Amino acid sequence: MTANLLIVRALMFRALNEITRVPGAAIPGVLAPTIFMVGLASVFGKAANLPGFTSEDFLTFIVPVGLLQGAGFTGAATGVNLARDIEQGWFDRLLLCPSPRAALLSGIVASAGLRSLLPGTFLFIVAVLLGVDFPGFLELLVAVPLVMGFACLMACWGVILALRFRSQQAAPLMQMGNFIAVLFSTSYAPKELLANWLEVFATFNPVTLILEGVRQGFVGQVTWADTWPAFLSLAGLLAIFGALAVRGLRRYGI
Amino acid sequence: MSAIETVGLEREYRGGLKAVAGVDLHVQAGEVYGFLGPNGAGKTTTVRMLVTLLRPTGGRATVAGFDVATEPAQVRRRIGVALQEASLDLLMTGRELVELQATLHGISPRDVAGRTQELIERVGLTQAQDRRVATYSGGMRRRLDLAMALVHEPEVLFLDEPTTGLDPVSRLTLWEEVRRLKGEGTTVFLTTQYLEEADQLADRVGIINQGQIVAEGTPASLKAEIDRPRLNVSLVDPDRLEQARTLLAGFGDERPSTENADLSFAVDGGAKAIAPVVRALDDAGIDVAALQVVEPSLDDVFVKKTGHHLEGTDAAADAHGVAVPPAVEPA
Amino acid sequence: MIRASVALGRRGLRNAFRRPQFLAPLIIFPTLFLAVNVGGLNRTTDLPGFPEVDGFLDFQLAAAITQSLMLGGVSSGIAMALEIEGGFFDRMVAAPIPRTAIVLGRLITTAVLAVAQIAYFVVLGLVFGASIKGGFEGLLVMLGIGTLAGIGFGAIGTTLALRAKSASTVQGIFPLVFVVLFISSAFFPRALLSSPSDTIAEYNPLSYIADGLRDPIISTVNAAPVLEGLAAAGLVAVAGTALSVLALRGRLRDA
Repeated sequence: MTANLLIVRALMFRALNEITRVPGAAIPGVLAPTIFMVGLASVFGKAANLPGFTSEDFLTFIVPVGLLQGAGFTGAATGVNLARDIEQGWFDRLLLCPSPRAALLSGIVASAGLRSLLPGTFLFIVAVLLGVDFPGFLELLVAVPLVMGFACLMACWGVILALRFRSQQAAPLMQMGNFIAVLFSTSYAPKELLANWLEVFATFNPVTLILEGVRQGFVGQVTWADTWPAFLSLAGLLAIFGALAVRGLRRYGI
Repeated sequence: MSAIETVGLEREYRGGLKAVAGVDLHVQAGEVYGFLGPNGAGKTTTVRMLVTLLRPTGGRATVAGFDVATEPAQVRRRIGVALQEASLDLLMTGRELVELQATLHGISPRDVAGRTQELIERVGLTQAQDRRVATYSGGMRRRLDLAMALVHEPEVLFLDEPTTGLDPVSRLTLWEEVRRLKGEGTTVFLTTQYLEEADQLADRVGIINQGQIVAEGTPASLKAEIDRPRLNVSLVDPDRLEQARTLLAGFGDERPSTENADLSFAVDGGAKAIAPVVRALDDAGIDVAALQVVEPSLDDVFVKKTGHHLEGTDAAADAHGVAVPPAVEPA
Repeated sequence: MIRASVALGRRGLRNAFRRPQFLAPLIIFPTLFLAVNVGGLNRTTDLPGFPEVDGFLDFQLAAAITQSLMLGGVSSGIAMALEIEGGFFDRMVAAPIPRTAIVLGRLITTAVLAVAQIAYFVVLGLVFGASIKGGFEGLLVMLGIGTLAGIGFGAIGTTLALRAKSASTVQGIFPLVFVVLFISSAFFPRALLSSPSDTIAEYNPLSYIADGLRDPIISTVNAAPVLEGLAAAGLVAVAGTALSVLALRGRLRDA
């Protein structure tokens, strides 16, 4: 067990090299979600004036969207990096290790969770500078694991696609999964204000629960009723996509 | 004990193409086995199956006593693999990579640093260990790859074209290391496109063509199987060719073939056959310009068994025949 | 000159359709974004100050077209950069054709793609309940403004490719497309934008292009927005083309 944890840690640190050792590599992934969030807020800001909106300020309402998008970008990037490792042969080296495939996968996926802190922190600081209220520590204690967990989830999605296509050309598909999962939810407005079709979609989209779990602390108080569904949804999705990724990994070689 | 054993090993790709079509291999523990074949012969597919990167579609294979399909983790624990085109993470330093490999192989954190230093020293990368791999030369990368493959003291080492593209000096260094490993009792499965490499290092050689083993044996036995050494004699005076031909007819069991002022015939005993030939020609007053015993090469074996030359043969000849200045490796 | 440009333009089109992975994002991303915007913010048409429209889809259609055309420009730049990386560009330069045909050929490709993009979004809009109030005349206006703008964006992409020479650099401006769009009135009425976007949007030609494309959808064709749209699209097209021809000259001089 300890040996497996050491493997997870070693692979996590290796993945961190991508941002610590390549100058400028982290910049697009850090800037893009923040630009997207600020852009949306400046364009659609007046939407918060609609009756039924749960936040007085549109920016505050979409901070969680930005946090999850940043995490999703990071997860997708993990998938792209794995595809590159497959193309270049480095992945064969990992497969040649006797360690359990689940340990290898955990290392790759956990790195996404850790890396998602970078765009998340930047976005959070910009949001606070632009006037979003500091949500409080308990609120962050709920939001941060959800955001990191979502990065792991999208990393599993990226890994599944990377193992399937074995090419970096699958990158747009990885990004698209993130885009759909986060935005086709209550991202822009409370459920009651959505168009009917999107309301139905958002109701069935398990990411809506995660988003609302992150959002609760920004627009109000953290409640148990909004917290447990978020974590349950995340855990369920991680279990499903994690299992699919492990299956992909097992099928990849022997 | 067999280190590698395959029976009817097969790999069929979608569309019905059989890249490997029933390969039987028996590699003894402690042996260096040279695995040769032209491009697309099934060499890499066979190796990928043996190292548990590809599932066989037929037959079975055991490595270090464990089945590659049903006990892959056991196999992985006992093999070391240096892959073709050493795929290394260029952002990491040599030391970090060996340490990572050690961790991935479950070596206890206490021993990681010591084992890493030992290996880095062994492959001569002590000076460069804290530099990023991106700055390493081709030879240094292969040596690092080898160090990584050895990190868990494997019983069986797979080297997939370990010297392709290396300069002669780096190639010799790697050859030395393979000999040392053999001395330590490691089984080495070596695929190569350089016949000289197989000739120099391998105890036995297997040639694969179109997915099947077409020849197997020690380099000497394979060469002996196809032909005996030939003696080539060049005369000073071409006019005396016929006279020399008659004279030398008794030395081999064939009448010498002729071309310009040269005669050629198969002889038993190799170099020992030279003296009587020289004496006979001298006695008849025929002046000899040059005289040479030509041993059949593995390339001859290869051509005979597969119908074509091995792809790297020309490159190998260049590397060894032309005076290439040894590349200076930044140390 | 014209024959060479047309031949190169046809070749560009053929290649574009052979690389669907570059073509697909031009349609898919704006379509997804359109769906999310309309589904999430359809009630914003109730906001005081929002122009009279049948639905938010009618309003957003022009934004999706503008976004798609801009991504088309990036894609056009990537195609040119790949030709430079792959050596085909040098072969074109060495061929006995006018050099300007290289740029014009690329612009013909972009223009044809622009027409296809506009057609796609119009059909998509009609299928999901939008209507073109300006009728056939309005559609022609949209094609005119959109094609001109498409040529302009393509020329800007080509300029970047000729200067940067690397496909990944051109790809890097992808997020910039969103930035420029967010500071225009493409997605939302200018009067309802937050500060400072509303001020910047007033000087952003994209605002006028999007409003020009939008006018024939949400009302009968009005002279003012259409002429402003045509002028802005024409400006982008002329400036972009001039820049790309200059970049081509620069590149040939350096070569």
